[in-house]
Amino acid sequence: MVTNDATILHIKHQVLYEVAKMTWEGKLEEERDELPYKMIPGPQAQFRCCIYKEREIIKQRVRLAEGQCPVGKDSVNVVQVINAACEECPIASYTVTDNCRKCMGKACQNSCNFGAITMGDTRAYIDPGKCRECGKCAQACPYSAIAHLERPCKKVCPVDAITYDEYGICKIDEKKCIQCGACIHSCPFGAIGTKTFMVDLIRLILAGKKVVAMVAPATEGQFGPDITMASWKTALKKTGFADMVEVGLGGDLTAAAEAEEWAEAYKAGKKMTTSCCPAFVNMIKQHYPSLLENMSTTVSPMCGVSRWLKQQDPETITVFIGPCIAKKSESLDLNITGNADYVLTYGEIRAMMKAKGVELEPEENSYQESSVFGKRFGNGGGVTSAVVQCFKEMGEDINPEVMKCSGGAECKKALLLLKAGKLPADFIEGMVCVGGCVGGPSKHKTELEAKKARDTLIGQADSRNVHENLKKVGADQVPMHRH
Amino acid sequence: MKVTICIGSACHLKGSREIIKEIQDLVAKNGLGDKVDLNGAFCSGNCVNGVCVTVDGELFSVQPETAKDFFEKEIMGRL
Repeated sequence: MVTNDATILHIKHQVLYEVAKMTWEGKLEEERDELPYKMIPGPQAQFRCCIYKEREIIKQRVRLAEGQCPVGKDSVNVVQVINAACEECPIASYTVTDNCRKCMGKACQNSCNFGAITMGDTRAYIDPGKCRECGKCAQACPYSAIAHLERPCKKVCPVDAITYDEYGICKIDEKKCIQCGACIHSCPFGAIGTKTFMVDLIRLILAGKKVVAMVAPATEGQFGPDITMASWKTALKKTGFADMVEVGLGGDLTAAAEAEEWAEAYKAGKKMTTSCCPAFVNMIKQHYPSLLENMSTTVSPMCGVSRWLKQQDPETITVFIGPCIAKKSESLDLNITGNADYVLTYGEIRAMMKAKGVELEPEENSYQESSVFGKRFGNGGGVTSAVVQCFKEMGEDINPEVMKCSGGAECKKALLLLKAGKLPADFIEGMVCVGGCVGGPSKHKTELEAKKARDTLIGQADSRNVHENLKKVGADQVPMHRH
Repeated sequence: MKVTICIGSACHLKGSREIIKEIQDLVAKNGLGDKVDLNGAFCSGNCVNGVCVTVDGELFSVQPETAKDFFEKEIMGRL
């Protein structure tokens, strides 16, 4: 994957790997403080001003890997700022660059309604105290001399949750943050990360607990056409998990329950939204609480599979593995019973595996516990297709109009329309990551890069339908509602 | 009212899942779903005694056996 954060990813993964290794070996307490020195031996700094800052950043990353806040007082958010790593990007958002020729026309000055622009010795100057960031000057300049500098983290946040303190260090407004994780990979300095459950899970596995992995529907294709669900099952068992289930099965569970809910709402003329994307659910809860009554009460595929596993053995500890950060916040919402106990990203599980000498290896695509519709739940539009399929299977002659929202901006727009009573569609399918879960913040490959392998792998699955699959695996008696 | 229950490995091994289940059941039984917000919490480092539970920020140490009494006194008692 071509990104600007290859170096950062390398460091992040090395920290995760080292922390996992120390935990597997039971040496975390005694060796944790040595890690910054091991990774940053000095005497020359590689990326930052000095080795002391680099070591502090490693120390904060270790705390995150252990599930703690990087510094200071503990706060609830899963997404956290590694403040030592924040480079205090400029806050003044419109800035005049060297391209300025102080032309006679002075279109910039003339277009500014706030009197923020004056002429300096060599170029125009924008007074940040007066600038209202309308952008008219930048549009007016014939030399494209006015740059819009926006902090990358702030730019990608769909809910305007990113602010900064008096020193310019990034701060997350936890009341607004929906934990989608978009900011994490946007930061060119890797200054935002998430708490992980990795250490807790390794300790539970070491204590002999029955830990079962539930692998996201977005997974197939992420690691090439040869890494099948069977490959994951083998590797996870070698790592110490008791078993693995594909959450595509949960896609089937959610689709079947949601189809019943939607059919009823459709007949009653009530508009509804999906409830499987945790960042979308957080968006509704925190930003559009009046729409909660329109949100489906069906639990997520992750929760469905977790309940199914706990139905069979209540002692099971369930762990979701996928490209999603917001799932971590879903697992912490204990108002929903029987949900996943823990959540790991691909990066975290691979660090856990690697630290135990386990790799994902090619294996025949022989394991299938989900219909193709459940498997496609992780794609934008996938939820709708699965629900429509269920209508067919139920013999319901319903053809609803669904506004399929991919990405935070689209979700926000649809919710605003619904709130204003102007939604043209019957339902909203909300996925806060662009492209659906396959575009999640902790993806291994982009949707496009993984597409061919994903189509190949899912193409090998048989064509069982949703209800047939639920009967076949014995998952047709799972309670699928929130409360 | 915001209640957090630690789900870290140390608290897990001391029975945090049993406590969560008990409190979830009691909240449902008493119809307090709208009043009590239950959340999991990462380890806060206070793993000396029982499972770490907070009620509106105040820290308590709870054992699975004392969960019911705790619910009646500190959760029901404060509503």
